[in-house]
Amino acid sequence: MPSELHILGIRHHGPGSARLLTRALRAIEPDAVLIEGPPDAAELISLAGHADMVPPVALLVYDPEVPSNASYYPFADFSPEWQAMRWGLEHKADVRFIDLPQSLRPPSTKKADSEADRECESGGNDECEATEPDVPPAERHRQDPLDALAHAAGFADGEAWWGRLIEERRGDENPLQVFDAIREAMSSARAECGSTPHEPHELAREAHMRKSIRAAIKDGFTRIAVVCGAWHAPVLTADVLKSSPAKADDAILKQLVKRKTTATWIPWTYDRLSLQSGYGAGIASPGWYEHLWMNHDQVSTRWLTKVARFMREEDLDASPASVIEAVRLADSLAALRGRSIAGLDELSEATLSILCHGNPLPMRVIERKLIVGNRLGHIPEHAPSVPLQRDLAAQQKSLRLKVSADDAELDLDLRKETDVARSRLLHRLSVLGIPWGTLAADQKQRASTFHEVWKLQWKPEFAVVVIEAARWGNTIVDAAAACVQDQASKAQELAQLTALLDHVMLADLPGAIDTLISRIQSLSAVAATIGSLMDALPPLVRILRYGNVRKTDAALVEPLVDGLLARICAGLVPACGSLDDDAAAEMHSRIDGVSSALSTLARSEFVEPWHHELHKLGSAGVHGLVAGRAWRILLDAQACDPEVAASRIAFALSPGNDAAQASAWVEGFLRGSGTVLLHDERLLAIVDRWVCSLPPETFEQVCPIARRTFSTFAKPERRTIGEHLRRGVRAAQPSAGVIDGDDDDLARCELVDPVLRLILGEQMP
Amino acid sequence: MSKPSSNSSQTASSAMRETAEKQYAAELAALARLDDRERPPRWNLSPWAVVTYLMGGKLKDGTEISPKYVGNKRIIEIAVATLATDRALLLLGVPGTAKSWVSEHLAAAISGDSTLMVQGTAGTPEEAIRYGWNYALLLAKGPTRDALVPGPVMRGMAEGKIVRVEELTRVPSEVQDTLITILSEKTMPIPELNEETRATKGFNIIASANDRDRGVNELSSALKRRFNTVVLPVPDSMDDEVKIVHQRVGQMGKALELPGEIPALDEIRRVVTIFRELRDGKSVDGKSKLKSPSGSMSTAEAISVMTNGMALASHFGDGKVKAADVASGIIGAIVKDPVQDKVVMQEYLETVVKEREGWKDLYRACREVL
Repeated sequence: MPSELHILGIRHHGPGSARLLTRALRAIEPDAVLIEGPPDAAELISLAGHADMVPPVALLVYDPEVPSNASYYPFADFSPEWQAMRWGLEHKADVRFIDLPQSLRPPSTKKADSEADRECESGGNDECEATEPDVPPAERHRQDPLDALAHAAGFADGEAWWGRLIEERRGDENPLQVFDAIREAMSSARAECGSTPHEPHELAREAHMRKSIRAAIKDGFTRIAVVCGAWHAPVLTADVLKSSPAKADDAILKQLVKRKTTATWIPWTYDRLSLQSGYGAGIASPGWYEHLWMNHDQVSTRWLTKVARFMREEDLDASPASVIEAVRLADSLAALRGRSIAGLDELSEATLSILCHGNPLPMRVIERKLIVGNRLGHIPEHAPSVPLQRDLAAQQKSLRLKVSADDAELDLDLRKETDVARSRLLHRLSVLGIPWGTLAADQKQRASTFHEVWKLQWKPEFAVVVIEAARWGNTIVDAAAACVQDQASKAQELAQLTALLDHVMLADLPGAIDTLISRIQSLSAVAATIGSLMDALPPLVRILRYGNVRKTDAALVEPLVDGLLARICAGLVPACGSLDDDAAAEMHSRIDGVSSALSTLARSEFVEPWHHELHKLGSAGVHGLVAGRAWRILLDAQACDPEVAASRIAFALSPGNDAAQASAWVEGFLRGSGTVLLHDERLLAIVDRWVCSLPPETFEQVCPIARRTFSTFAKPERRTIGEHLRRGVRAAQPSAGVIDGDDDDLARCELVDPVLRLILGEQMP
Repeated sequence: MSKPSSNSSQTASSAMRETAEKQYAAELAALARLDDRERPPRWNLSPWAVVTYLMGGKLKDGTEISPKYVGNKRIIEIAVATLATDRALLLLGVPGTAKSWVSEHLAAAISGDSTLMVQGTAGTPEEAIRYGWNYALLLAKGPTRDALVPGPVMRGMAEGKIVRVEELTRVPSEVQDTLITILSEKTMPIPELNEETRATKGFNIIASANDRDRGVNELSSALKRRFNTVVLPVPDSMDDEVKIVHQRVGQMGKALELPGEIPALDEIRRVVTIFRELRDGKSVDGKSKLKSPSGSMSTAEAISVMTNGMALASHFGDGKVKAADVASGIIGAIVKDPVQDKVVMQEYLETVVKEREGWKDLYRACREVL
C-alpha cells in the first residue's frame, strides 16, 4: 500500500499555524510525524511528553569539545513543532526529526551564519550582535520570501501579512486545503526569489529532509505528516520525491564532514524568544502569540481586559468603561485600515490612547510584561546537563580546584599564573551568583596586596544555579560577561556601577567593560547630584592608575574619567552654593577624595581644570570649610601663589567675618596636617593674630572647633607649632622654606642636592 | 509642514490668514467628489478621505493633495478613528508639534468649518464654553431663548459639527469640567429655561493641550477618561525638522519684512541639532547622554531663535546669520531656570559643542553670552 504523504508548511512559533496543524493532524491521524528539527536530539523527543516539561524550553545542540559552539531550537507552547511533538507522543505515532543534523554542519564561524530560518546561535554570537550595530536587523529578513508575497497583497511586510492571513485567522475551513494553499503560495515565492539558496545549508537541509521522508516511506508508515517551515514545503512533496532521484540527494550529503554533537533540553524564556534578543527566527510578541493560542474568540476584548487588569495590578487607573472605549477604537481603526479584526498594532494604539492617556511609560511596561512576557520554562530534573556545567567542571579540573562540601581555605598568590586564573574563576562565579568561594573577611590584615584569601564550599544547590546561569552563556567567561551587562543595564545608581566595574576588573571580563563604561557614562550624565559623581571618580582613577597590575586594559577607563571630571568641574561651584555644616563636611571629604585621586595620576590635563575650578570655588561665597579646603589643596599642589593664599586667609579671618564661618575656614584649611603653618610663618602669624583678636565670648564658641582642627595634627607638628609660637612669630620674615644662613651653608647644601635627588627619584619636581 | 499649494484659492482678501477650509477648498472639493466610501453622519468626507487630506497624496483624477502634517500616518489614523467613534479627541504635545494645525484641518475636512473654536486662557469663563446672555433682552423679556447667546460648543451641538478647544490645559480646572456633561451625556442643560440642547450626530470636540509647559492646569481624571489622547511627537528625523524650520523661517522672514537673507541650511542644522540633542537628552551620534533643560525645546522655539538671529544679522550685522547672532537666542531658549539650566548648558558646551568639528565659533559665541 503506497504511503500517504502530507506536507504541512508552518511558520515557526505561529499560534495560528499551530492551531491549524493540530486540526490537520486530527484529520490525517498519521502514524509517523516528521518534524523539521535536529536529529542529533532524537532520543530527547520522548522527554517532550514529560509532565515536568513546561515550555518555553529549547533544544540545545552543542559541540562537547567547544561548548560555545552551539545552536538553540526554542519551542513555546504555541510552536507548531511543539504541538506536533506532543500530538505524536500522545497518539503513539513515530516522531522523528528530519532537519540536517548539526553534526553534519560545519562549526559556526560567528557572523557567517545569521541563519534566517530558525536556529539562534549560542551566547557568543548574541554578544556579537549586540556589539556590532553595523549589521542592520533588517538584513536578516532581506530575502524573506514572505515579504515579496506581502508586498503583492499590499502589506508593509511579510510578518504582518502572514499574521493577518494565518496566525490571527479564526475560520474553520478544511485545514488540509489551507496547507495546500500555503504550499502553492510558497512555490511561487520560491520561483520569484530565484534558485539561489536563501541560507547557507539550504540545499543540504532539504536533501536531508527528502532522504528522511524516503526512509520513513521505506519503513512502511502509511500516513506520514511532515511538519516543516513553509518555505521548504514545495520541495518535499511526493511529486518532487518522485522526480528528483535519491542519488542526487545522497551525493550532496556525502560531501559533508561529520563532527560530534551532544544535545540537551534547557529552560527558555519568552524574552529570549523575542526578536530583541537577537534570535533570528524570533517573534516580536511572544506574549501576544500565547494569548492568540490560548483564546479562540473575542481576542481583542480579552486582550484589552488582560491589559486593564495588569494595569490595575501595577496601581494604574484602568476602568472597564475605558476597556469598552478601547475595544471600539481598536475596531474602528481596523476598519479604517481595511482589516477584518483588530491586530496587535490597533490594540496597542488603542491602549496607549485610552488606557494610558497617551503616556508611553505604562505602555513600555505593558510591552515588556504582556506583549513579550516573562515566562520561564522548566525541564524535568533528569534531563542531560548543560555546557556551562561542563565548562565549569573542565576549569575546576584544569585549575585543580577540588569540589567539596567542606569548608576549605585557599590562599592565592596573585603573582602566579595559576592562582590568578583561579581567582578569576572564583570572581566570575560570584558575578554569576554562584558563591562557591567567598573572600575571607580578614583580607585586610595581610600585609601584601598580592594575596587573596578565599573560603571554598560547594553546596548541591549550586548545580541548579549553574543551569540557571546557562541562559547567560555556555562558558563561564561568556556567561559572566552577559550577566554583568544585564546588571549594568538595570543598575540605576552610579555607585552600583562603579562597584560592578571593580568586579569586572577582578574577574577579567573585557567583553563587559565597554557596556559598563557606556552605562556609567550615560548615568553620570543624568546623575542628579555632583556628590555621586565625585564619589564615582576615585575608584575609576584607581583603576586607571593601578589597573595594569592585573593586566587589564585600563586605557578604556580614561575617557570615562575625562567626562566625569568635566561634569564635576561644570557643576562644582553651584553645588557648593548653599551647604549647611553637615553637607559642607561631606563636600569637604569629597573634594579631598577627588583631589588625592587626581594627584596620584599627576596628569596636567586632569589636574589643571580641577585646580581652575577650585580657584573659583575658593573665591565664591561658599561655606568656609569648603573654601578653606580649596585653598589648602591649591597651596599644597603649588597651584597658587603663596602671596595670594596668604591674602585669602587674611581676608577670610579678617574681623568683619562671622567667627563661626572663619573658624570653619580655618578648619577646612588646616584639617589633617599643620605642616603648612610650619613652612610659612606668615600664615602662622595670620592665624595667630586671628586667635588673639577673638573677644572672650566668641573664643569660647570657636575653641571646640579649633581644638578639633588642631587635634588632627601629628604630635610633633603640634609641638613644633607651639615652639614657634613661644619664640614669637616673626611676621616680617620673607618666605618660608628658604634656608636662611650665610652662603657657606648654602654651598654645602648644594653638594647634598644631587644625591638627594637620586634617592628621591629624578622625576620628582 | 504644509507647502502652500498653487491651486488653492488665494482670493484677493486682506485677511492675514485664511481659514483652512477656504485655503484648501479645491482639495476638499476634489476629495468629496471622488470619495465613495461610507461617511459617518454629517461628515463631509469619509474617514479614509480625511486621512488622505491630512497626509497628502494623489487622487484618482490626478488632483494632488498637499500634505498638511509631516509625520507618522498612524497618528492621524488614530485621531480620525477616534472622531468616528464619537469619542472626543485630545491632542497632546509640546509647543510646535502642530496641534492646533492638525485640529484646524481635521475640523475643516470633517465639518467643512474650522471656526467653531474656544481659545483656552487662564481667564476663560464658563460662558465661553456654555452660553451667554444678551442682557438688554434678558432685562426686557426675562430669560427666553431669544435672549440666550449660544457659544461655539452649543452651536456645534445644534449643527452637528466639530468644535475645537485650544489650550485646554490653560483653562481653570472648574471651567474644564463643564465639558464633562457635554462629553458624556451629549447634552447641554439650560437650567434658566428648564431646557436643554441635545447634540446632533456629527458633533464632537477636538481639544489641544500642552503637558510640558509651566502654568498648566492638569486635566481631572474624570475629564481625561472622556478623551482619547493622541500624543503628537516632535519631528521624527533631523531632516524633517530642518525642513520645517527652514520653511517657516522663510515664511516668517517675508511676513515680518526682514531684509536679511534666509539663513544658510548649515546654520539651521546646527540650531536644530542643539535643540534635538538637549530635548532627547543624548547626542545625535547616540554616544553620550546629556541632561535636558527645564524648557520644552520645541521646534517652534528653534524657529524663533532663527528669526531672531535673522533680525540681528540684518539690522546690526552684514545680513548673513552667523554663530554670534544665534548664540544669545540659543542661550535664551535653553536657560529658563538661571541655576539648573545654566549647569546643563555649561556641561553641554564643554562636553559636546567644544569637541565638535567646525563648531568652535559657536562655542566661543555661546561662552561669551553665558
